[in-house]
Amino acid sequence: MRFDLARLWRQKIGRFFSFIFLLILLIQVGWIYTKYLMQTNQAFKPLNEFGKGLFTQGAEFQAGLLNPTMYLLWFLVALVGGGLVARDTLYRVRPLMYAHPVAPKDYLLAKLGFASALPFVILLPFVLLPWAMSLLLAGLQGPVWATAPLRLLPAMAISSALMGSLAVGASSLAATPRAGIGWVLGLVLGAGTLASMIHGLTGIRAVDALNPVMLAEAWPQLLVGVAHPMVAWLPAILGTAFHLALWTFVAARRTRPSEAVI
Amino acid sequence: MEGYSLIHFGARFVAAFNLELILIAFENLEVRYAATAAPALKGLSLSLERGIVGLLGPNGAGKSTLLKALLGLLRPSGGTGSVLGVALGAPEAAKLRSRIGYMPEYDALIEDASAYEQVAFWGELSGLAPETSRDRAHEVLYFVGLDESRYRPVSGYSTGMRQRVKLAQALVHSPELIFLDEPTNGLDPDGRRRLLDLVLRVHAELGTGVILASHLLGDVERVADQLVILDQGEIKAAGSMENLKKALAGRVELKFLDPLEPEQESALSELGQVMGNMNGLYDVQMSEGDPTRAFQWAHARGLTLIQLTQRHDRLDEVLLRALHPVAQVGN
Repeated sequence: MRFDLARLWRQKIGRFFSFIFLLILLIQVGWIYTKYLMQTNQAFKPLNEFGKGLFTQGAEFQAGLLNPTMYLLWFLVALVGGGLVARDTLYRVRPLMYAHPVAPKDYLLAKLGFASALPFVILLPFVLLPWAMSLLLAGLQGPVWATAPLRLLPAMAISSALMGSLAVGASSLAATPRAGIGWVLGLVLGAGTLASMIHGLTGIRAVDALNPVMLAEAWPQLLVGVAHPMVAWLPAILGTAFHLALWTFVAARRTRPSEAVI
Repeated sequence: MEGYSLIHFGARFVAAFNLELILIAFENLEVRYAATAAPALKGLSLSLERGIVGLLGPNGAGKSTLLKALLGLLRPSGGTGSVLGVALGAPEAAKLRSRIGYMPEYDALIEDASAYEQVAFWGELSGLAPETSRDRAHEVLYFVGLDESRYRPVSGYSTGMRQRVKLAQALVHSPELIFLDEPTNGLDPDGRRRLLDLVLRVHAELGTGVILASHLLGDVERVADQLVILDQGEIKAAGSMENLKKALAGRVELKFLDPLEPEQESALSELGQVMGNMNGLYDVQMSEGDPTRAFQWAHARGLTLIQLTQRHDRLDEVLLRALHPVAQVGN
């Protein structure tokens, strides 16, 4: 009831996303198993020689473990996160919440925590399962680095916090959950479009760090040591800090007790 | 509803032995929404005893601001105050809210959740353990008469049922004090009667103090034993219902056989203050003594008094006199 996951499941959209994420995960796991077979089975040796030229096992491969899911994850975060605060606004639940021993910062942290934890938890198997498989099948020589989780988990945490704060901030601007979904998607796509336009007009590449989708993609790459073609370290740090601060501030302002009409 | 929790037992014990007689007290309480804004509450001083307190006043009078301040949502800009012995604005004021129940005026219900889910959720937010909260949700929903339909989504509930869900959520954690904001809004007469009966039972059986804000004077008159009248951020009248009604005692209506001459009308002031004249029916606040002395007064002037009616004190007159002390009620 609190975070509306049941509704998501009832409306089949949750089942759809679960299926898609599971499919991606299976493909990735199958990919690693195929690589293992090609490296160990003599029958596949010629194919392996050919594949060596194609398959990347370096840093880009590690960062790529997360990338296929990012766009889908933004949509899921919009669907769930868009309603997180807007639903309370629609049903005017927040003033009643503050009439209980709930401080505004508790409320905000709970919403931010949930909105950030959701993408983090979904991304978790995309890192841990390939990593565990790689270690089990091929040990330290496997396609996934033994230290990959140490780099990818912080990247996931940053990207998830970015998604969560944006979703909660956008949701706090909306009056209904549907409008909240629109706000999240509008802000994500709008910020990306704006960044591209400014980049195109000025030629300054660092402006792309305003694009939250690009930022979420950039962090895994930066942390595994791949230079992102569009976003470097400093713009990534500044862009992420800007989005986190802005949307947390918006959400905090929009959920103050004085905004609660009793 | 008997003996279901230690908290509940504690509340009844406190009520039974009057251990905490003063529910709310404040001295020169002032609340401003912004430092430069005019005060929304202007130096209120009041002490309210355990019971059912009616809070009356027109829109913008400061009722909601007072409730917000009492709930600890607004920090007073001046003066001091306490609710259930805890000072307003004190760090522990947030925890105080676990001892208070609040029933808002508007629908604060999640439409696709059942009454049981919602009440249990609010219980948890008030600090109850999940299992205790679920047990208490069943108990209070039974108390308010929603035991049969507690698993249905509230979107299918009537207005009366929705009001009772809101009352149940205010009671789920066995508070010592509940704030009811316009609890009978949108209810038909029978629904109003049943809800007010519940309010009386809440106080009588659970020992819970009640602050009832309402525009419906009849509702306040029916259940409240104390009354506070607010207007423009000031207390216009406060005290026990009995004392406030006594303020209107001695009101009579007089009718004479023949119309009074102007000088006879002015002589009526010998009996008391003339509050109004409706087609020869004089509304008089007798200054002192037995109202029947009006007969002697008329006889002495050769007038025939054909009607002397003792007016029944009504709360709306208390309210009007408090809000408009200069106006002549009845004119």
